[in-house]
Amino acid sequence: MTDPRIAAVGTSPLGRTDLTGRDLFSVAVTEAFEGLPDPAEIVDAIYVGNQSESYEHQIMYGTLMAEWCGLRHVPAERVEGCAAAGALALRHAVEDVRSGRRDAVLACGVEKMTAGGTAGATDALSAAFDRATEQRSGVTAPSQYALLAQRYLHETDATERDLARIAVKNHKNAAANPRAMFQRETDVETVLDSAYVSPPLKLFDCAPVTDGAAVVLVANEDVTSTLSVDDSVRVAGVGAGANNLSIADRNLTFIEGAHEVATQAYDQAGIEPSDVDIAEVHDAFTVCEALLAEAAGLAPRGKGYESPLAPEDRSAGWTDVQLSTSGGLKARGHPIGATGIAQAVEAYEQLTGTATPERQVDGADTALLINEGGVADAVTVAHVLSAA
Amino acid sequence: MSDNTNTNTNATDADTDAAVDIDVDVDTPDKYATAPRSPEELTSDSPFTLPGFFAALDEGRLLAAACEDCGTRLVPPRPACYDCGSRNLKIERQPETGTVISYTEVRTPPPALADRAPYTIAIVELDSGARLTGRVTVPYADTEIDMPVSLSIRAPEEDERAMALEHELEWPIHEFEPA
Repeated sequence: MTDPRIAAVGTSPLGRTDLTGRDLFSVAVTEAFEGLPDPAEIVDAIYVGNQSESYEHQIMYGTLMAEWCGLRHVPAERVEGCAAAGALALRHAVEDVRSGRRDAVLACGVEKMTAGGTAGATDALSAAFDRATEQRSGVTAPSQYALLAQRYLHETDATERDLARIAVKNHKNAAANPRAMFQRETDVETVLDSAYVSPPLKLFDCAPVTDGAAVVLVANEDVTSTLSVDDSVRVAGVGAGANNLSIADRNLTFIEGAHEVATQAYDQAGIEPSDVDIAEVHDAFTVCEALLAEAAGLAPRGKGYESPLAPEDRSAGWTDVQLSTSGGLKARGHPIGATGIAQAVEAYEQLTGTATPERQVDGADTALLINEGGVADAVTVAHVLSAA
Repeated sequence: MSDNTNTNTNATDADTDAAVDIDVDVDTPDKYATAPRSPEELTSDSPFTLPGFFAALDEGRLLAAACEDCGTRLVPPRPACYDCGSRNLKIERQPETGTVISYTEVRTPPPALADRAPYTIAIVELDSGARLTGRVTVPYADTEIDMPVSLSIRAPEEDERAMALEHELEWPIHEFEPA
């Protein structure tokens, strides 16, 4: 058993595009396999993270994406777990390779969210909540996270201005990320002046509706060494777990599921939270970055909102981690089923030193990824990636 | 920092056989009053299924499965306790009063409820410790954390019926109003 490696990565443009899901996938695969043999010569299986069939009236994304990159007669599956679908697909690929069952697996995500407009996305995302109690009450994704944010502001010293600073920081990172949807900075007043979507969350607290696809090639050391790739990163730890579907039944300010899976991933990797240099967490809404920093042991309870501050200015108990260096879901974009893979792409660039200089974290050699599906930790996946 | 940890348990020590005080719902027939141990018990008459749960709710009874081993109240009832894994469950009628744990306002609703927005949503902890998300009948500005509320049950209105699947058409809508 050897640790799998991420040997190649690719993404489509992220944002509103005139390309369909399969085309976006083609763009991502074309980037990942630039200079490599055909996928059919390398890939033994493919997993595709995808949230909803409602956007393109299409399921069978496993079969479709396999076909579109020249694969046939290999295991091919769509993986569903709302916004955690991408990391679930990555986890399947990692477990396949780690177990020795397969040598190289493609982990992908794809979503064509803009197809149905805001109403279509609102409706499709609401399917992630409990039909029996939550959906029938008319909850939406922003309102579910607003319930977390309201409680977080009630229990901690954090203010809406503190949450706004998270958005500002992530926009600044995205401005330096050529893959990002919003390659522009913003300021605290703009965030605070934006309209409430679901109070206390405002438009600029929310990740956007995004079209996009992302691909990573997960391979064992033998395959990786035969490929003419300049560099690769090691998947050192994985954790995954489900919590209650209904948010009412969970702790609203300590995201237990994220704590559990981050701990699993740290233990597998043999690291402590303080070893993490960069973390891509599931900042679908600004408050999530604060909550997940705390859950992952990167910040003390109730102080995760200090993530935009320089490490020396944060409260005692914080690590020196840099969060959402890609711009996060907030500003890189959040193509639901592809987000978990896009997080891995950022970690790959940071750990191989190929991120743009403006956002490259000096000496980054350990990354934590946390990808959530449903509201908060209904399902959560964590990966620890290492440069070594 | 106050704690929003779900207080949905009577057990104070997992290692002791805490005697859980469950007030079994008198209106649930005996054969459906405990968690199913054979497939035949899982009919739409059983509150361990959604049709059974909503039939009781339509009569004004909010039912939970109360865990005899750890005291967690599960709404709606299901065959096993998520907290401790036990299948020793009994159907218990829930109190209709509780307090707001968190709340917000939906300004961009699902398409089917477009005419209803904005509306208030809350997570309510009932006096039994069970928690339930639902709409609040008053505006966002008139809602706050720790506000006492009571449960109300009504028939679905036209827009709610329009978003219902065929098997959901008669299921009642639950809401919370200031107590």
